[in-house]
Amino acid sequence: MESAKVETSSSKRLISALVFVVLGVAVVGTVGFTLHALSADPQAPLHATKSSETIVVDGKTYPKASVTMGVYADSAQAAEDGYTLNKKDYVQYGPSTHLILPAHTYVTMTIHAYDGGEELNNPYFGKVVGTVGGTINVDGVDINAVAPDKVQHTWTLHGIPSTSQDPLFVNVPLPHVDEGEDGFLPTNDPGTHNKGHTVVFSFITGGAGEYVWNCEYPCGDGSYAKFGAAMSAYGYMSGKVTVK
Amino acid sequence: MTTLHSTSTSSRPIPNPAKSLITKLNMGTGTVVGVIFALATYYALKPIPDDPGFYNQQNKALLASMFAWSIGFLIGIGAFIGPFRWLIGKDLTAEEQLYLAGDGQGIKRYFKYCTDHKVVGIQYLVGVMAMLGVGGTMAMMIRTSLAVPGGHFIGATIYNSLVGLHGITMIVAMIIVATGPFGNYIMPIMIGARDMAFPRLNALSWWVLFTAIPVLCSAWFLGGIPTGWTAYAPLSIQAGPGMNAFLATIIIFAVSTAVAGMNITATVVAMRAKGMKWNRVPIFVIGATMSVALAIPAFPTFMLAMVQTATDRVFNTGFYDANVGGSGWLYAHLFWIMGHPEVYVILLPGIAILMEITPVFVRKPLFSFNAAVLGFAGIAGLSVLVWAHHMYISGWTPTLNGPFMVTTEMISVPTGLIFLVLLGTVWRGKPWMKLPMLGMFAVIWNFLIGGITGIYLSDVPADNYLHGSMYVTAHFHYTLMGAALTGAVAGLAYWFPKMTGRMLNERAGYISFWFTQVGFQILFLGMFIAGAEGQPRRVVSFAAMYKYQNMISTFGAYLVGIGFIVLLWAVVHSWRRGVIAPKNPWGAKTLEWTVPYPVPLENFDELPVITTDPYGYGKGN
Amino acid sequence: MSNHDEPDLKPTPGARATNLLKREDVKRTMVFGLIWTAIFVVLGLYAYPKWMPTIMSTDMKAMERIMIAFTVISAPIAGLVLGIATQAITNRHKGDTPPPDGPAVRTNGPVVIIWSVVSGIFCLVAVVWGIAELNTMANAATADAKESIHVEVTGSQWVWSFKYVDQGVESDKLILPIDRPVEFEVTSVDVNHSFWPVQLGVKVDANRLQTTVVHTVPNKLGAIDIKCAELCGLYHAYMETSGEVMTEENFNNWITANGGHKA
Repeated sequence: MESAKVETSSSKRLISALVFVVLGVAVVGTVGFTLHALSADPQAPLHATKSSETIVVDGKTYPKASVTMGVYADSAQAAEDGYTLNKKDYVQYGPSTHLILPAHTYVTMTIHAYDGGEELNNPYFGKVVGTVGGTINVDGVDINAVAPDKVQHTWTLHGIPSTSQDPLFVNVPLPHVDEGEDGFLPTNDPGTHNKGHTVVFSFITGGAGEYVWNCEYPCGDGSYAKFGAAMSAYGYMSGKVTVK
Repeated sequence: MTTLHSTSTSSRPIPNPAKSLITKLNMGTGTVVGVIFALATYYALKPIPDDPGFYNQQNKALLASMFAWSIGFLIGIGAFIGPFRWLIGKDLTAEEQLYLAGDGQGIKRYFKYCTDHKVVGIQYLVGVMAMLGVGGTMAMMIRTSLAVPGGHFIGATIYNSLVGLHGITMIVAMIIVATGPFGNYIMPIMIGARDMAFPRLNALSWWVLFTAIPVLCSAWFLGGIPTGWTAYAPLSIQAGPGMNAFLATIIIFAVSTAVAGMNITATVVAMRAKGMKWNRVPIFVIGATMSVALAIPAFPTFMLAMVQTATDRVFNTGFYDANVGGSGWLYAHLFWIMGHPEVYVILLPGIAILMEITPVFVRKPLFSFNAAVLGFAGIAGLSVLVWAHHMYISGWTPTLNGPFMVTTEMISVPTGLIFLVLLGTVWRGKPWMKLPMLGMFAVIWNFLIGGITGIYLSDVPADNYLHGSMYVTAHFHYTLMGAALTGAVAGLAYWFPKMTGRMLNERAGYISFWFTQVGFQILFLGMFIAGAEGQPRRVVSFAAMYKYQNMISTFGAYLVGIGFIVLLWAVVHSWRRGVIAPKNPWGAKTLEWTVPYPVPLENFDELPVITTDPYGYGKGN
Repeated sequence: MSNHDEPDLKPTPGARATNLLKREDVKRTMVFGLIWTAIFVVLGLYAYPKWMPTIMSTDMKAMERIMIAFTVISAPIAGLVLGIATQAITNRHKGDTPPPDGPAVRTNGPVVIIWSVVSGIFCLVAVVWGIAELNTMANAATADAKESIHVEVTGSQWVWSFKYVDQGVESDKLILPIDRPVEFEVTSVDVNHSFWPVQLGVKVDANRLQTTVVHTVPNKLGAIDIKCAELCGLYHAYMETSGEVMTEENFNNWITANGGHKA
């Protein structure tokens, strides 16, 4: 038996215990901040561009802002358009999946959509919901729905309804690019070789709040209901919207 | 060591069988062989990028490497030397067996395949504390993230992984928290045995479990798990590569519990001292045995559920895929057929520890030994018939909700007996307020709250509302943490002198007790309220209306965290330099207090003969 | 077993009871027990109703009744348990030596039997109550079946959608007319979800290729929250939407405004 070292003096014990507790808290804290750092957005957030113009909708005046995104079948394709995205073969929205939008603003969003598509899991998401006028503009044509088997992706914005945050629900189906004909519509994107659709729509933000968006088109190939892989990883086909 | 007939073993010089492979193997060689096996398997099965079956191949390669690691480790540590000798018609020599028992090897034996039940007990104790530490750290992360609405601190992917891995780490730790350290170290001495019935299986159970720990940790590096610890299919089929780590962990763990369960049961049935009739067996032994015996039928269904999940992921077998005739309900059944007995596997030993402690500290006999046994047996028996109360709202055959409600609520009767035994024992006594006894009073309160809230949840109309809410989370933490873990900590304070030869630092113990228990009440009071108000569980973000409840919870969680760090200090400090303990510091009458510290290799010089039960306290006894 | 040191407990039951009640520890236990009972009664009668969200259906009302009733019914049991424990704590022994020996009572047959019977009765009350409520709910569902409006609820990762089959309307919000039975036919297009309209007090899982049904009658105007109560992956926490119970007239207007027709 190690009988030499018996109980230490009480002040030594106290110091040893305090140091131990501080170290313990430090270890847990380090783990916490490491996980916090790992939780950071994969790309720098995308801020909407505010304009000085205003617009009147239903008798109320809103300032205007705009934001442009692209959605790509994989990040290599996106890279050719100058977007730095995650280096995986995942389908991907860009340039960032974290959008920052101004509050009480008429936001016009443009999505350049460069992917093919099959059929939605839930046909409901073929409908346009929550945009001004209930329509989206696809290459110059206003529509209010896309056939559920002709959707490439959706941009579906939602959040947790609560008393302190205005509700905001937007669902925008992006019509697929017919890959058989190498894209039947030209794109307006300057300097790109991609054939795709340019989808423009507007919605009005409420007060400050935290929302999320995700794609409702099952594009996590090879996984159950095609909703694993890219679909279930933050920063590819899902992201955040901060209204402030 | 049943085959060994030497009488005085502990004082002998180390017999070092020259050239024997056994002396060269340890955790290090195990790790090396395990890693080589794992890497070789992975490269042999490496998935091909761009292949349409990429995910299947990836799952196959990862699962196979994890099992290869486990098998390789066991080969490398020498777990199969004995069986191999039998295979070629030989056996270990007496000297080799003595070496395997760790005789005279000091600290080294804790890192070897050691058959001494006391070594295995310490290995379990340290392993459990490590797991609780990891699980507790994850709990702190969860609560930190939930301190304010919005989920800003930790993102959804990592948060979901935290929820699942905190859950499974804690469940695994809690299953072995009492039967591992105390069941292995104390129990054989308590029943007057020289060792477990199957010492090599005992070592095997620990080292198999040990191989599951790195596998579980690897989940973090494979992208985490999105499913929670319940791993419901089809979400688990959809999940990424981290899910494989979960599946492999459970399959390996189920092997470990099966081995440990059979071993403990066989030991208690066959190796009790002469004269130790069933009504003279210490109640902890009864509770622990019922717990492990309950685990024997329970865990294979969990293992099966995981094997089917694995084949669904690797071969698209579709057991749980409704598109091809499978059903998610099948998974839910298999899971809960394990899951409900499992909570009692956790609870029974914790409660049994308290029943062991209480008579000692109030100097009265255990009140109604028979009621205690009936209570345990009633709980164990009913617990295999209640699983579908987790599925009231699953939509599966609502006509069966009634019968399952009846069986579930019937559990309150044997549970009542448990309370009666504890309260009857303290009634008219003067409880000696040492740490173990404080734990007993804390459990009375915590288990009462856990029990009453359980009655609401067992009632279908109430469960229609409460299911899947924070209320459920608070409820089962009151039973698993408030009752079972507090009971195990009381057991640690009680048996610490026997396991380490030193007393657990009392002041630090008290400080830890008050921090953890007060923090615990604050933590889960906030959660009960948030749950009753409708906050779902396992959410990274919540509506602002639950703001204060969650803030309170997080504050309580930090108190609990500090409490457990203080406890860890107390354990580490006291183990190294605590006050040397007398042979029987609490004046208890069970057999473990009749042996000196360090406990000799085969515990007793002369095996005891039992003439009475160990609860002969009090006037007139 | 060894009552020889307590001759005062031997006489007639009446005298035994009187003697028992005279004992100091029994008195203290009763006082503590009453205090604890009162605390639990207050918790049941005041705290739970305060915590529960607005009650907007008969099912939610049944749920609240159970929470209150079970708390109040279990209050005396909790009071007894905690009374004994509190009494024991006030009678504690301090110091480094074990306390003096207590009475060597090994069991008390009548107490064990009474305790078991009483807890059995409490258990029976809970079971009967629960089954009665279950029956009421099942009967209501059958009786209402004809006049119910049918809402197909679809869970997709991580958004709810609602389809009013007879009216031909689809929505991301759940709008219901007051006092009209509603039958939710719930399904999922991917993993398991759990449909939880909080203030209506019902819940049912959404499983792929299965339709699970749950029935209720909203009976109060106001906002409802719809949540997902089964972990369903990345954005499980955000799988929430809002809804409203409105007057029949407003509901019909909403249906027409969304391109539907009165059914």
